Amino acid sequence: MPDLVLGISCYYHDSAAALVEDGAPRAAAQEERFSRRRHDPSFPAQAVQYCLQESGAKLDDVSAVVYYEDPGLKFGRVLTTFAAAVPYGFAPFREALPDWLAWKRRANDTVRDELAGLGLGQVPPVVCRRHHASHAASAFFPSPYESAAVLCIDGVGEWATTTLWHGRRSNLRQLAEIRFPHSLGLLYSAFTYFCGFKVDSGEYKLMGLAPYGRPRFAEVIRRKLIHIKPDGSFRLNMRYFAYLHDHVMTGRRFETLFGGPRRSPEGPLTEREFDLAASVQQVTEEIVIRLARTARSLTGERRLCLAGGVALNCVANGKLADRKIFDEIWVQPAAGDAGGALGAALSVAMERGASRAHLGTGRDGMAGALLGPAYNDAAIRAYLDEHGLPYSRPEPDALIREAVAALDGGKVVGWFQGRMEFGPRALGNRSILGDPRDSAMQSTMNLKIKFRESFRPFAPSVLAPDARDYFRLNQDSPYMLLVADIAPDKRLAGPQPEGISGLDLLKVQRSLLPAVTHVDGSARIQTVAEEDNPLYYRLLAAFKERTGCPVLVNTSFNVRGEPIVNTPAEAVTCFMRTDIDMLVLGGFILRKEEQPAWREGGDWRSDIPLD
Amino acid sequence: MRRAALFLLYYLVLTPVGLLCRTVRDPLHRGVRPRASSYLVRR
Ligand SMILES: [Fe+2]
Repeated sequence: MPDLVLGISCYYHDSAAALVEDGAPRAAAQEERFSRRRHDPSFPAQAVQYCLQESGAKLDDVSAVVYYEDPGLKFGRVLTTFAAAVPYGFAPFREALPDWLAWKRRANDTVRDELAGLGLGQVPPVVCRRHHASHAASAFFPSPYESAAVLCIDGVGEWATTTLWHGRRSNLRQLAEIRFPHSLGLLYSAFTYFCGFKVDSGEYKLMGLAPYGRPRFAEVIRRKLIHIKPDGSFRLNMRYFAYLHDHVMTGRRFETLFGGPRRSPEGPLTEREFDLAASVQQVTEEIVIRLARTARSLTGERRLCLAGGVALNCVANGKLADRKIFDEIWVQPAAGDAGGALGAALSVAMERGASRAHLGTGRDGMAGALLGPAYNDAAIRAYLDEHGLPYSRPEPDALIREAVAALDGGKVVGWFQGRMEFGPRALGNRSILGDPRDSAMQSTMNLKIKFRESFRPFAPSVLAPDARDYFRLNQDSPYMLLVADIAPDKRLAGPQPEGISGLDLLKVQRSLLPAVTHVDGSARIQTVAEEDNPLYYRLLAAFKERTGCPVLVNTSFNVRGEPIVNTPAEAVTCFMRTDIDMLVLGGFILRKEEQPAWREGGDWRSDIPLD
Repeated sequence: MRRAALFLLYYLVLTPVGLLCRTVRDPLHRGVRPRASSYLVRR
């Protein structure tokens, strides 16, 4: 019987469960994909059920359940923060304390009770690991490196907001940390909030906005908001932030510093937001690069592993890779708190004597992050037949050929295959695909499928062996977590057209891959290796064979504000609601023009919150 | 009732304790240290 460890992260945001089998990730999924509530923070009952089902286990077979942070320690931090903010924080105190007293300070007991309520057998002991220990374990243990420096940067867990580790084989040792309230993640979130985006999810938008702006506020940020040491460690000037005593991130002093109140979420994006985004992005990159140098000198390692929410900042990761401080970096695909579930389980599995079996293969232990549920063709056919949806089922080669022909003809293709991805990005199993050479593709996909205007381009998937021909990239980026420039010979020369400014800049064609090129000539790249995803690789290879272009536009299979689809039924619903032209669902092809009219009660768009 | 208890707890217990703590040593280490070479806490 293999040794099974179940990891759980929940009660903050993006809850998830992960099952580790003899030290290897066996199954992992975010609860939002089942509950269909984006960033669902609740106990991940369905994700737990899925993980156990995937390995044919019951709770009795699991050696330990691990909660991804230490609730007692976190309660101490929360109380200390209230005490430090007196007499200004009564409102949040009044709202938060009852929950902390009732159950949050013993969240692992709550987890045990929830597990018992699932009726899946006897609940094994529930233990916890510290928040950053979970992040660090998720960054190092599945990495392809025998030894490495590890850097975790996020908002906050218990006390630590930035930690630095040395990983060797099955051992992780913490070297240093920075503590709350001094937090790079919270600094970034403060600007996210101030620019009118949602904290904990809008950070991505702020990063996407940065290339439109000039970093004219970077000096003010360094002078007034954050004091940075040469080694990258920092302290925030808390007089400018409100999160110690309020529900909001920034207060009046912050507004005064940046010329007026925050942008309202519905308000227009102006030069100020562009420049704020560019400025905080620049400061973030500076800190990440300095911390990486420190990690290098403290450990002497030539490889770096990253996790924590800030490690989802793929622009900063790209700059870091470009600087060559380390020979190579590896970023946990579920770098945010969902990945804490996996890290917590890995951490305990290693203590229980598991080995890192993937070492020596030259590959990482994440199985391409394809750790979620799969649905076989029998299940898909049953669903399609039941709903009377016309389909064809060509031979595998013909399936690829037909999909490639559609893509080359400017069609948008829904691509649903195999196991769902773990982490925020779709990597070719729950993806919507298009032709990156098509200059209209960016707005087509946004308006007809995602139902939004976007100031961000889509991400390209590229055949790993061809990546360097198209992008200035000096290492693989299997999880879409590195941004790099389009290769010079794929860019279009010529002066910037006159009279175009602001968000319209995205419409200017700058490269041979306009749908995936940002206004600064960069792209958020996914390199696809044959071993990680053979079918997706074959699709890209066939597209290259037909068109000469080894790149596809890859965006997540969902509409704006909705979690990525999990089941065939959700994929069909998304296909029918939108202007996706073709749906490839396992071995089946559905063409929009052959489908009956789609009817559903009410306006489904009103059920999906704005993101 | 609960609201009143929380009010008393906050202003009669936490506030004096918090103010007292802060006069001795700020538990959140606010404020910069220009002469220190690093803010890293070594473990
Ligand atoms: Fe975190």
